[in-house]
Amino acid sequence: MSSDVTTPETGTEPPPPKTPGRRTEVVAALFRFQSLFGLVAVFVVAVVFSPRHNGDLLFLNSDNLFNVVRAVSEIGIMAVGMTFVILVGGIDLSVGAVLGLAAVGSAVLMVDDDFGVAASVVIVLLIGLFFGFLQGMASALFGIQAFIVTLAGMQIARGLARIWSGGQGVAIAYGDGPGEAPVSFSLLGERTFNGLVPIPALIFAVVAVVAIVFLRTSAFSRHVYAIGGNEKAARLSGVPVVRVKVIVFCICGFLAALAGIVHAGQLNQGSPNDGFGYELDAIAAVVIGGTSLMGGRGTVVGTVAGALLLGVLNNFLGLHGVDPNVQLLVKGLVIVVAAGLQRLRPTA
Amino acid sequence: MARRRAVAAVLTAATALSLTVACGTTSENSGQDNAGAQESTCGGSDGKYTIGMSQANVAEPYRQRMDDDIKAAAEQVPQFSVEFADAQQDNAKQVSDVENFLTKQIDLLIISPNEATPLTAVVAKAYNKGIPVIVLDRKVDGDAYTTWIGADNVEIGRTAGKYVAEKLLPNGGKVGEIRGLAGATPAKERGDGFREGIKGSNIEIVQSVDGDWLREKGQTQADALFKAHPDIQVLYAHNDPMAEGAYLAAKAAGIEKNMKFIGIDGLPIPSGGLKAVEQGRLSATLIYPTAGKEAVDTAKKLLVDCQDVPKEQTLKTELITIDNAATVYNEANG
Repeated sequence: MSSDVTTPETGTEPPPPKTPGRRTEVVAALFRFQSLFGLVAVFVVAVVFSPRHNGDLLFLNSDNLFNVVRAVSEIGIMAVGMTFVILVGGIDLSVGAVLGLAAVGSAVLMVDDDFGVAASVVIVLLIGLFFGFLQGMASALFGIQAFIVTLAGMQIARGLARIWSGGQGVAIAYGDGPGEAPVSFSLLGERTFNGLVPIPALIFAVVAVVAIVFLRTSAFSRHVYAIGGNEKAARLSGVPVVRVKVIVFCICGFLAALAGIVHAGQLNQGSPNDGFGYELDAIAAVVIGGTSLMGGRGTVVGTVAGALLLGVLNNFLGLHGVDPNVQLLVKGLVIVVAAGLQRLRPTA
Repeated sequence: MARRRAVAAVLTAATALSLTVACGTTSENSGQDNAGAQESTCGGSDGKYTIGMSQANVAEPYRQRMDDDIKAAAEQVPQFSVEFADAQQDNAKQVSDVENFLTKQIDLLIISPNEATPLTAVVAKAYNKGIPVIVLDRKVDGDAYTTWIGADNVEIGRTAGKYVAEKLLPNGGKVGEIRGLAGATPAKERGDGFREGIKGSNIEIVQSVDGDWLREKGQTQADALFKAHPDIQVLYAHNDPMAEGAYLAAKAAGIEKNMKFIGIDGLPIPSGGLKAVEQGRLSATLIYPTAGKEAVDTAKKLLVDCQDVPKEQTLKTELITIDNAATVYNEANG
């Protein structure tokens, strides 16, 4: 039940709309899909400059390509959640710490408290959801800036993770005895379809598809874009702003917890110091994907492309043995360029 | 309508995922068949070999020295070329580093894992592919590797403990401990060994904190430690950088003359433990060899000379005090 939002013009008449020429259409399309084009461009560069071994292009090795997706799966899952929050004009700095908390939770529940996989997963996901709920309430209901709320949330989640784990990583051994986790949890580290497709990549794909469909078709998503575009106008036209904002923070916390469970399953360990700095990678993926930090513009498709772009870039630099500090530099430059391109975008 | 499409999408996706997981995945499917197929690796002296060295954190001087030692030793072997990767203390990054090495089809992997459990799976993957794996200094879980080379960290801790019990605090006293990164095996071993060494004496470890092997962190943690326990007489740190950091913290508080500092590593570099003992900042350190040269020697045995190597190779340590610091330093750099 959303109406079109019209902002009242003040003073002069709006200029007559220009008939869009062919060139402007092409440019507009380029910008709309900037992240996909960026991904294709980086992919092509990686193929052309790929190291070779006996004539084979190592980058295109199927194991390698799946390694790329596996390596960005956790960031990707978090970035999908982050997209929702950034679309309403907020931000969530706590996702890395929530990932650590979730990883610790999964490990401790299964190993120390002998919970089953299903119970542990449900409990940890609910913790992430509730954490997001609290942050959403603080930000939307009490009006504290999302940056501050989630900065505090980051510290709180880290502290909780350290307390819950006793300050050290909890190793996950698999088996049927006490102090061992059910073997099925180790599936998260496996690859399916003849040992090719990593399970974390499948989870990322499912999360992405669900989010893309959701963001395209639901009334809720129209509210999200409306709030991001112009919160005051959205509120005036009846959009339940507080409820929507709380829900997007819940989604973000939920997905950060999911990423944490995947993380624990891949590394077979729940460490309270894991996920450090992951929030910046998630935000980077969202920004490279073309989502504006001001809110109101962006897609999950873009975020997925942004995450994959970062993955391809990391892999390409890693295969060439580039110093990891140079890799950091390159990553930073890519983010700046992507954000800069957004500014050049013709406003529709 | 839109909501129904979304629900349909969710259900389809969930069903698809469960089906793939149920049908496609088991441990048997993920290529665990080649366990220990190590016979084909020795190519003799005619071949050219690429070695991948996956390091945990080059920011630690000990690990930079380990890489330098490997590089120097490999330059003496014409058949070897070595590529280095640095995980910057991130387990997930180190897993990716090893995966990239596997993509590049290295002939042998040397690895010093950041933490044992997270790196076990990917090391096993390399080993089960038939690639010889040399594990340095820190261990992985299980035994899916060719050989482990390192010093006996328990013995090192014990020697440090005995030194404190017999020489520094023969009548008992208070000790503060700064530990290395918790998930790395040397931290546990150096802690356990120290406690064995002081057993039966009147020495009490008043508090242990985590310095994660890093000098800056050692300094901040030591600062807090000294504020909580100003009566500490000996500071035992699991490595020299943390011990030096603790010295700086004590100096800033003006109490460095009241206590003695012990570290481990004893690197023969200007900023290392040997010089620190010689110059009086540390009262003792224990040599922890980097095993870099031994790793390359082992690689040569495996790839070029077609010999077997033992599963564990333990290197010797030495207690360094003001009496022998200068001599050992000159010998190492001679």
